[in-house]
Amino acid sequence: MRNTMKVARWEIKRNLKNKTFIFSLFLTPALMVVFGILGSLSGGGAEDETQAMKIYVNDGLGVFESLEETADRYHLPLRLFRTDVKEADVGKELAKREKAAFLFADERAFSEGVLPLYTGDDFPDAAISQIQMLTEPVKFLQLQRLGLTDEQLAVVTKPISVQPMRADEGAQSPERNKDGGEAAAMKKAVPGIFAGVILLCIIFSGMMIFQSASQEKKDKIAEILLSSVTPNELMQGKIVGYFVLGLIQVAVFIAFGISFVLWKTDFPLFRYLFVPELLLFLLIAVLGYLLFAALFVGIGATMSDISTAGNFQGLVIMLPFIPLFFIGPVSADPSGTLAQVLTYVPFTSPVILLLRLVLLDEWRWMEIVLSLAVLAASVWLFMKLAGKIFKTGILLYGKNATPKEIWKWIRA
Amino acid sequence: MDVYLSVEGLEKTFKDKKVLHHISFEVRKGEIMAILGPNGAGKSTTIRNIMGIQYPDAGKIVFHGHGGNGIPRHKIGYLPEERGLYKNAKVMDILLYLADLKDYPVKKAKERALAYLKKFDLEGKEQMKMEELSKGMAQKVQFISAILHEPELLILDEPFSGLDPVSQELFKEEIRNLAKQGTAILLSSHQMNLVEEICDRLFMIQRGQKVIYGTLDEVKTEYANFKCTIRGNNDASRLERIPDVQRVEQKEDVSVLYLTKSVNPARWLKNLPEDLDIRELAMDRISLHEIFLDVATDRRMLLAEEKEKLQEAGEIDA
Repeated sequence: MRNTMKVARWEIKRNLKNKTFIFSLFLTPALMVVFGILGSLSGGGAEDETQAMKIYVNDGLGVFESLEETADRYHLPLRLFRTDVKEADVGKELAKREKAAFLFADERAFSEGVLPLYTGDDFPDAAISQIQMLTEPVKFLQLQRLGLTDEQLAVVTKPISVQPMRADEGAQSPERNKDGGEAAAMKKAVPGIFAGVILLCIIFSGMMIFQSASQEKKDKIAEILLSSVTPNELMQGKIVGYFVLGLIQVAVFIAFGISFVLWKTDFPLFRYLFVPELLLFLLIAVLGYLLFAALFVGIGATMSDISTAGNFQGLVIMLPFIPLFFIGPVSADPSGTLAQVLTYVPFTSPVILLLRLVLLDEWRWMEIVLSLAVLAASVWLFMKLAGKIFKTGILLYGKNATPKEIWKWIRA
Repeated sequence: MDVYLSVEGLEKTFKDKKVLHHISFEVRKGEIMAILGPNGAGKSTTIRNIMGIQYPDAGKIVFHGHGGNGIPRHKIGYLPEERGLYKNAKVMDILLYLADLKDYPVKKAKERALAYLKKFDLEGKEQMKMEELSKGMAQKVQFISAILHEPELLILDEPFSGLDPVSQELFKEEIRNLAKQGTAILLSSHQMNLVEEICDRLFMIQRGQKVIYGTLDEVKTEYANFKCTIRGNNDASRLERIPDVQRVEQKEDVSVLYLTKSVNPARWLKNLPEDLDIRELAMDRISLHEIFLDVATDRRMLLAEEKEKLQEAGEIDA
């Protein structure tokens, strides 16, 4: 174990001192941020346009605060101001202002059911539908005046919407909307995306294990190392080391991502991120990493250079990317047969399981447990196989192993 | 001298080819023991089996004073035949990492590394990357990495291959020093002249079989018969008729007379025919190199077989 940690430390140190690694560590997130900023710059113009929409409210009902609250709650691109301007003077006032509107909240709302809105010529029509949302507190006030209790109010004001359902999910999920569909989805999507990023990062660092193993073979270092440590210690050290390097990559990614999200939006990221589901997602990501790490370290030991990879090795290297082809079909039908089958296939299960857990509202624990069991068993199996291949392959300098030879080592 | 390592009856088969036949020898503290043999004789296989990088089919490898079980990896320094170091890492980082894998204290390792780099004319190169070093420099760093942690047993597989004469001298001297300090040293080589100068005992191997095993002196007395080199025009058949001459090799006007083991050189010289054409004459023993060539080309084995056959025939006649 001590030797494993020594090897791991060395791999980490060696990479952190390597300019290429440091460069690529920051390049991807930096690019993301740059594109994010570019995007927000070009999109920013539009935002400014809408932000400039000023609504002057002549408040005859005492609802101004509620109106502001509503605008906030729905992120409406409006700025509300109180005004005393009379309807007769509106024409003059509008002429003086750009993208402005005057809203008159008075008894007409209850008697005629209208809130008169005067707009200038340059006022975007699309914004009018958004301003429509401002009727909510007025409606509330109306009901209050009718003498409804708070409970009655809550029932009456709760919107009713059409909800697409699946026949087989049926009646057992009436409480799904309890805390609002959007929030529940976020609670899964945010940690899901987080775990996805982790999985992706550590799969990439898993590819570096492959590099590291074949490099040691190419540079003929393996025999010197094996005079001090056992092949298993060397292999495990690499797996642990690149796991940490993957986490460092994740940390950089997340640090960039989180600060970007917090800076550019007021999305309550942490509330959605730190939920119990995150633990399960992380477990899936870690198991996925271990599976691919075993695969890469084993296959890396069979060849001295990626450019000389035979068909067999090329095929194995492609394995982690297979689930990407299925993301489309599985997203379209997350509980379909294809999705279910792929959940139990070792090489697709981490990504597909993660994807399904994010998309599905109802988790079937049997499937999750079974899939995790398959994943754990294959991790164990592939670690064993990789150990056997690594032990022989890493010393076979200057030669790529054929599938036949690899099979022989496995059986030995 | 205390025995540090015993190899007993090592056998190894690759596929259906037997590459080691009952190999047995010992390495003692403070001595330089050489495994000699042509390419493919089984030297590296023997060493890899000792290092636990390969496993023998039969036989025992015992490290004395370590409970007999397992390989005391931290006490062994190993320089494999096929060797290299991380190309894009710094010299000092690699040396410290390899010493750390041997559980050698970092501070001491650093001091020793600097001292050795200076000794090997690599002062100030510790922060350079391996890929920036020349091949000879890289080999020196590899050598340092094998001895940095003060091993009790040093195993060097072809330590001199690819070295220039200056570096060869440097390595030889350091190997001698280490032996003097009590390190048990096992080295393999096919460069006889170098080995002859430094080794105390040798084990000659051919096709996985022991050919010769003993101290350098024993081997020389046993196998390195006297030979007499004469420059002058002489008829080969006439030279062969001189008593105690086993065989004659002639190239132009130089004749080499290989003498029997029991010959008394002084008496033999005195009894040389007076009418021989002698412009130059040299008397010396066959070098290890020649023994080795004999072994490598199987000449000695063939001779021995012929001798046996002759003896058998003689016995039958008698």
